[in-house]
Amino acid sequence: MTSAVAEARGLTKVHGRGESRVPAVDAVDLEVPEGQTLAVMGPSGCGKSTLLHLLGGLERPTKGEVWLAGRRVDTLSERALARLRRRSVGFVFQAFHLVEELSAAENVELPVLLAGHSRREARRRARLLLDRFGLTARARHLPSELSGGQRQRVAVARALANEPRLVLADEPTGNLDSAATLDVLRVFEDLRAAGQTLVIVTHDERVAATADRLISMRDGMFVDDTRLTGAATGWLGGLAGLEG
Amino acid sequence: MGRAVLVFRLVLADVRRHRAQAAMLLLAVTAATATVALGLSLGGASEALYEQTRAATAGPDIVAYAPELGTPVAPALEELTRAPGVSGHNGPFRIVFATLTSRGLASLVVVHGAPEKPGAVDRPLVTSGHWVRPGGAVLERGFATALGARVGDRVTVSGRTYPVVGIAVTAATSVFPWAPGIGPYGGPSDGGGLVWLTHSDAKALASRDLPLAMGVGLKLSDPATARAFIDAHRDSTVMVNFHPAQFIAQQDSVMLRDSQPILVIGGWLLSFLAVAGVAALAAGRAAEQTRRAGLLKAVGATPGLIAAVLLTEYLGLALLADALGLTVARLAEPAVASPTASRVGSVVGPTVGVVVAATALAVAVAVFSALRPTLLALRTATVDALTVTAHRPRRRPLLTALSALLPTPLLLGLRLTARRPGRAVLHGCSTAATLIAVDALLTFRVQPRWGYAQHRGGWGAGLSGLPNLRDDQSGRLLLSVTVLAIALALVNTVTMTWSTAMETRATMAVARTLGTTPGQITAGLSVAQVLPALPGAAVGVILGIGVYVTVGDARTLPISSMAGAAIATVLATAALTAVPARVAARRPVTQALSAETT
Repeated sequence: MTSAVAEARGLTKVHGRGESRVPAVDAVDLEVPEGQTLAVMGPSGCGKSTLLHLLGGLERPTKGEVWLAGRRVDTLSERALARLRRRSVGFVFQAFHLVEELSAAENVELPVLLAGHSRREARRRARLLLDRFGLTARARHLPSELSGGQRQRVAVARALANEPRLVLADEPTGNLDSAATLDVLRVFEDLRAAGQTLVIVTHDERVAATADRLISMRDGMFVDDTRLTGAATGWLGGLAGLEG
Repeated sequence: MGRAVLVFRLVLADVRRHRAQAAMLLLAVTAATATVALGLSLGGASEALYEQTRAATAGPDIVAYAPELGTPVAPALEELTRAPGVSGHNGPFRIVFATLTSRGLASLVVVHGAPEKPGAVDRPLVTSGHWVRPGGAVLERGFATALGARVGDRVTVSGRTYPVVGIAVTAATSVFPWAPGIGPYGGPSDGGGLVWLTHSDAKALASRDLPLAMGVGLKLSDPATARAFIDAHRDSTVMVNFHPAQFIAQQDSVMLRDSQPILVIGGWLLSFLAVAGVAALAAGRAAEQTRRAGLLKAVGATPGLIAAVLLTEYLGLALLADALGLTVARLAEPAVASPTASRVGSVVGPTVGVVVAATALAVAVAVFSALRPTLLALRTATVDALTVTAHRPRRRPLLTALSALLPTPLLLGLRLTARRPGRAVLHGCSTAATLIAVDALLTFRVQPRWGYAQHRGGWGAGLSGLPNLRDDQSGRLLLSVTVLAIALALVNTVTMTWSTAMETRATMAVARTLGTTPGQITAGLSVAQVLPALPGAAVGVILGIGVYVTVGDARTLPISSMAGAAIATVLATAALTAVPARVAARRPVTQALSAETT
């Protein structure tokens, strides 16, 4: 196998049966090398979220193979998939999906505790991550007491809590206003700069502009695959308003 | 009218969409109202049956018994028949204390010598065969039923064999097994059956050196003076036991003395279980009901109409269940109110008071269960109601910190429990209520038993005594209540697990994305139900002991069995919750996440 963090071969996902059969992802091949930030764009319903779910093992493909960190995952049991996700994958969602009754710090601690680490270790990691994303002062606040951008930054911190090799973000700025979007974009830029492998599904060109590579999807297929050498610090970054 | 039709159509549509939930509400409330109605209906049932039997058999106002202890007692009883205020009499008749055997069964009996043509007072009602004739025996119906004897069978009374020529009922004695009234030689009675023989056959039997007594039935011109008559005719030279009709009726009611508390207390336990189950259902549907209220508000419905729509469903189903419960109680009452077959007539069925009490109970179950979600739906602003998702739990920092020290299933379980403390309390109480019933049954089963109508020295090889009808009835009723309680508790546990799973599906889906396995989610959901069941089981054992000691007068407590039942309940809860929890844990993660949009 290659050294790619994530890889898909002939990946197909079909929803429905018979006449209502809809191919959400149609025989795509993909390789995401270590440290790459990949943005996936396309119109609603083109299959980009499904692709993300397939890569993260949240859905099983109808056909094809998914490899994560050199291990084929589409044949794994749910239990083994869960363990793999625990160690290797972090998810960021458009709707944040923070646990409402837990504080920001407790939300970040949660995956660490679920991975079987001690509470002390969970606290340590949460403190570091919240500090990294400028949320130390908000650590004890509930999600309902945070702004949208702050919530999404907590969600990103939570996704990173177990130091995963791959972070999958599904429309991470879809629920945010412009200011909050910029907050989150800075976080992704920070991750990219730190060499974190990222796959971001987005409608937002400003988010895509922060990536190293941009794939466009339509009707479940890749219609374009572009390397963005400038990324966030180049002209696209300027467009996104990240400079200065 | 249009408004009522609209409410009806909306309610009907919702019931159709939630058939299983409607069925559960019906089952729970029917069981509760049937049991309570049956229990309350038993008050006065045996007296009513006695009065009907008395009317049908020209029952005496007073029966006087005098044991033959060497001095002739017939003159004293004959004198009573001539006393002022006596308008009619039966006897004096001979009473022989004997034993009866038939087809391997044996019983103490009293044989009453009877005229071949009954007089105006105490005319036993022959329900099968015909009245006594020389050489033939008539068995009292309650006794014959316990014995399994029919007309044409042969019975042996203290060594003499007689064909059974008839089966009859009388109001002159209490129901089987309390027919003797007094024991041999005037001592206490161990109970027994009643057999009528002709005077000459009874006299022949009396020659076999058996304990004897004489009896007389008296009809008073003014039955209300029975107590004064008895006080005026006590004789210090002859031992006479007077049994007024009220005493006989009271003795009849002893048969139901345990049945009524079992049914009434059992009914309240079942009612509580019904409230717990239906409240869990209603709370599980709160978000959906709030959205529904928002939709109705958006199209111009008034709060009154919305409240009517939301409450009518529960109230309508509860009232339907009430009607079903009252019908079940009416159908079961004859068998429960008259376990001996010693009486004729019919029970009147639930009185107005009983119907009102059962209906109030059903309405209370519906209101207690549905009022809070309804008020929540009414108070929520229209726009918020339209976008409402699951109930937002309260933050519990101490518990969050504590659970962080635990393994994943316990961490999840404890946090899930804390999200819905009210439901956890309900589940704990539901477990306690079930164990109260189970413990009562276990305690009942280990109490020392003595049969009625049994020979103190035993019957010898090949013969067995008759069952203890009172204990048998109590055992059957306790078993029925316990089975119903267990059934409701099972349904409640599954409902609560499923409601918890559905409410927390988004959170659990997030946990899955964070690497929690389906097995850990399943275990967490089970733990969330088992945690409240643990204190519930402990409290149930303690309350079970308390209730039985207070109401049931227990002499022996099966502590080890009770502890075993408590452990079994907790294990059963874990096993039972595993199925819905596993189903919920295996639901696609992406579906749950995309459904949650906040």
